[in-house]
Amino acid sequence: MTALLLDHVTKDFGEKRAVDDLSFAVCDGEVFGFLGGNGAGKTTSLRMVLDIIRPTSGRIEILGRAPGRENSADLGFLPEERGLYRTMTALDTITYFGRLKGMTRNDARAQGKSLLDRFGLGSSANTKIEKLSKGMAQKVQLATAVVNAPRLLILDEPFSGLDPVNQGLLEDEIKRLSREGSTIVFSTHVMQHAERLCDRLLLLADGRKKFEGTQDEARATLPARLTLAARETPVGLPGVASAAEAGNQDGWTLWDVRLEPGGDPGDLLQACTERGFGLRKFEQSRPSLHDVFIHIVGDAEGRA
Amino acid sequence: MNSAMFLVAAREFRQIAATRGFWITLLIIPFAFAVGPVAGHLMQKSHTEKVMLIDPSRQAAAAVADRIALDHQREVLQSLSRYSESHDLDRADPKAIWANHDHYYSDYEVKAFVAAGGAKAAGRKMARVAAPDTPPFQEPEADYQIVPTPPVIAHSNPAELDKILPALINPPKKDHGAEPLDYAVYVPADFASGRARVQIWSDGPVPGQLMGVLQDTLTRAMRLRFLEAQGVRPEMADAAQLIAPMIEVNRPSPGKGHEQMIIRSILPLLVSYLLLMSLMLSGSWMLQGTVEERSNKLIEAVLACVSPNQFMYGKLMGTIAVGLTMVAVWVVAAIVAAFATQGMIADFLRPALEPLSHPSVALAMIYYFLAGYLMISMIFLTIGAMSDSFRDAQSYLSPVMLVIVMPYAIVAQAVLRDPNSLGVRIMSWIPIYTPFTMLARLGAGVPMWEVVGCGAALAAFVAVEVVLLGRVFRASLLGADSKPSLARIGQLMRGRGAE
Repeated sequence: MTALLLDHVTKDFGEKRAVDDLSFAVCDGEVFGFLGGNGAGKTTSLRMVLDIIRPTSGRIEILGRAPGRENSADLGFLPEERGLYRTMTALDTITYFGRLKGMTRNDARAQGKSLLDRFGLGSSANTKIEKLSKGMAQKVQLATAVVNAPRLLILDEPFSGLDPVNQGLLEDEIKRLSREGSTIVFSTHVMQHAERLCDRLLLLADGRKKFEGTQDEARATLPARLTLAARETPVGLPGVASAAEAGNQDGWTLWDVRLEPGGDPGDLLQACTERGFGLRKFEQSRPSLHDVFIHIVGDAEGRA
Repeated sequence: MNSAMFLVAAREFRQIAATRGFWITLLIIPFAFAVGPVAGHLMQKSHTEKVMLIDPSRQAAAAVADRIALDHQREVLQSLSRYSESHDLDRADPKAIWANHDHYYSDYEVKAFVAAGGAKAAGRKMARVAAPDTPPFQEPEADYQIVPTPPVIAHSNPAELDKILPALINPPKKDHGAEPLDYAVYVPADFASGRARVQIWSDGPVPGQLMGVLQDTLTRAMRLRFLEAQGVRPEMADAAQLIAPMIEVNRPSPGKGHEQMIIRSILPLLVSYLLLMSLMLSGSWMLQGTVEERSNKLIEAVLACVSPNQFMYGKLMGTIAVGLTMVAVWVVAAIVAAFATQGMIADFLRPALEPLSHPSVALAMIYYFLAGYLMISMIFLTIGAMSDSFRDAQSYLSPVMLVIVMPYAIVAQAVLRDPNSLGVRIMSWIPIYTPFTMLARLGAGVPMWEVVGCGAALAAFVAVEVVLLGRVFRASLLGADSKPSLARIGQLMRGRGAE
């Protein structure tokens, strides 16, 4: 079943087109990364999914329904810009958001207590937010998003501003919810998190979809890269696009080799064997998502 | 999903109710009711002014003192007469001077009243027929008190008095406990000849009443001397001084006429004032809350669960609930105070509450109160949504407050003068002033067509306001541009440029 579907969605703010003909689908139980640089249209897309703003054109389906507050019981949302009511206690804050999502007071409080215990904040349940440290407040914020055990959890730049401990906590929580069957969509421009968590991902630039697929499919979009140790240059071997000297090892020259698009390293190895091309080292480098992102989206956004 | 609106309202109420400011404001009125009478009693300053008469001939001073005492007794008699009429006590002695109302009491009558034992004797008679809850008669305070003249002053000439008296009339601050003298009057021995001048020392303007007493008493003495010099026998000359016209005063009985209008206007005016006060307080708390929600970036998380309209109406409901709670507590405190002090306040409250005995007036008051609350709260809410800080909000708030609050004092005074004057009626039709003006006018009686017409105009205004400011509110909640210009606000009201 499809948890989230965007079908040719466009959003204009006056003259500016923030999201341009965006289509993608997120299946039930997936962890889906929504990647893009600043201003790529990630937050606008997520706000449309949550019905905070309406698309100019196109169709959105969320858990099989149109966007609206009637979905809030099944949704969790952690916005990029976070804040809490300073004078409310941690537990009251979680209970309040739980109730806004249709939970009963007792259920929301019970679930809130259990989350605070799990996050190591059990003793601060009745402490006002203004008395908590920033890291503690971030945990409370996460608890408000997941208090209703959402079927679909939407996280907008969830790791931004978190300290390493809370980044780990959030990753664990995402994995836990995923194991329990929740679908998770999160936007980020930090590729390491996406690499660790995403089943599938979508790359967005200037409001347009640049790529949608698995991490392997994403990596496959980059030409394969190899490190060879040989006495002679590999240029001229079948499938080799370029080769550059990268040093010397025990009298053998190290070569940084790039294959032509679609080229298979196995084919190159076979060609070397058949031609008697002496090799001391044949090592394939796996491209990172960061490399993929820069390759697909462009240098400018990669730096953002 | 309207439960979400109630949840927002309840949170808003709780947040405001958790502030110290709310509780201080809430309790300050009951505290004032409790402490007010005591403090008033402790702080009460006598308005009796001290007069020193310096009269070397020892003729005029006695006459001036007698006249001051007589005038005070006339005031006592008038007040007693009003009291007797108010509490239906004439039957205690229908032939008594105080039972004869509506005329200016002559010197002869006042002297007879004093000779009959004055207010004390009259009070004893009245007590025999008075109802048990009749408050006791409060004798008005004398306007002037003659203080003894020290010998050193009594024997000084005007030049010496010029040096001595300023220090007595305006004593240095360090001279604690010294009762300052208000006026010193020097009457030269030969004042009647017209050659020597009567002199007055004062720290400020001399009241017309005191001047009248001096002028009248000393003129009498001069006339007497003149008539005697013209060969008129002393007893004839004296009798001529007593010739005075009978003056009848026609005015409504106590609690009627303008007095009635004022009393009946007090409660509606008070309600109007309560509306203003509670609105300013709860509105500014709500504004602070909205600014906090915006500046703390928590709006987005809330809007994922609640629609902007539910959020807006929830906040309005919460604020109205805060305002109504405050008003309810204040009203209960007033009722408790009325019961606790039965006599005077209850006596005053009864006629003041009379307008509420008409259900239509009571309903109209509730309607105007709630509509006024909604109208002004909506302005506060929108200002809060447009501002990232209280400082930002202040720049919108100051002119708005000036427009709303400033005319209130003028309206209150104008209503007490004439609740149906043209100015007041025009104000009633200006929606932003309709609630305050109509609330203030309702006690004195407003034609039904005007009550309905102004109410309908107000309802239409509030509906348009909620639609237009609602657009600004929704557009500003997540808007990155805080403190939009007036042109931008106008654009948002027209629904352009939002999102």
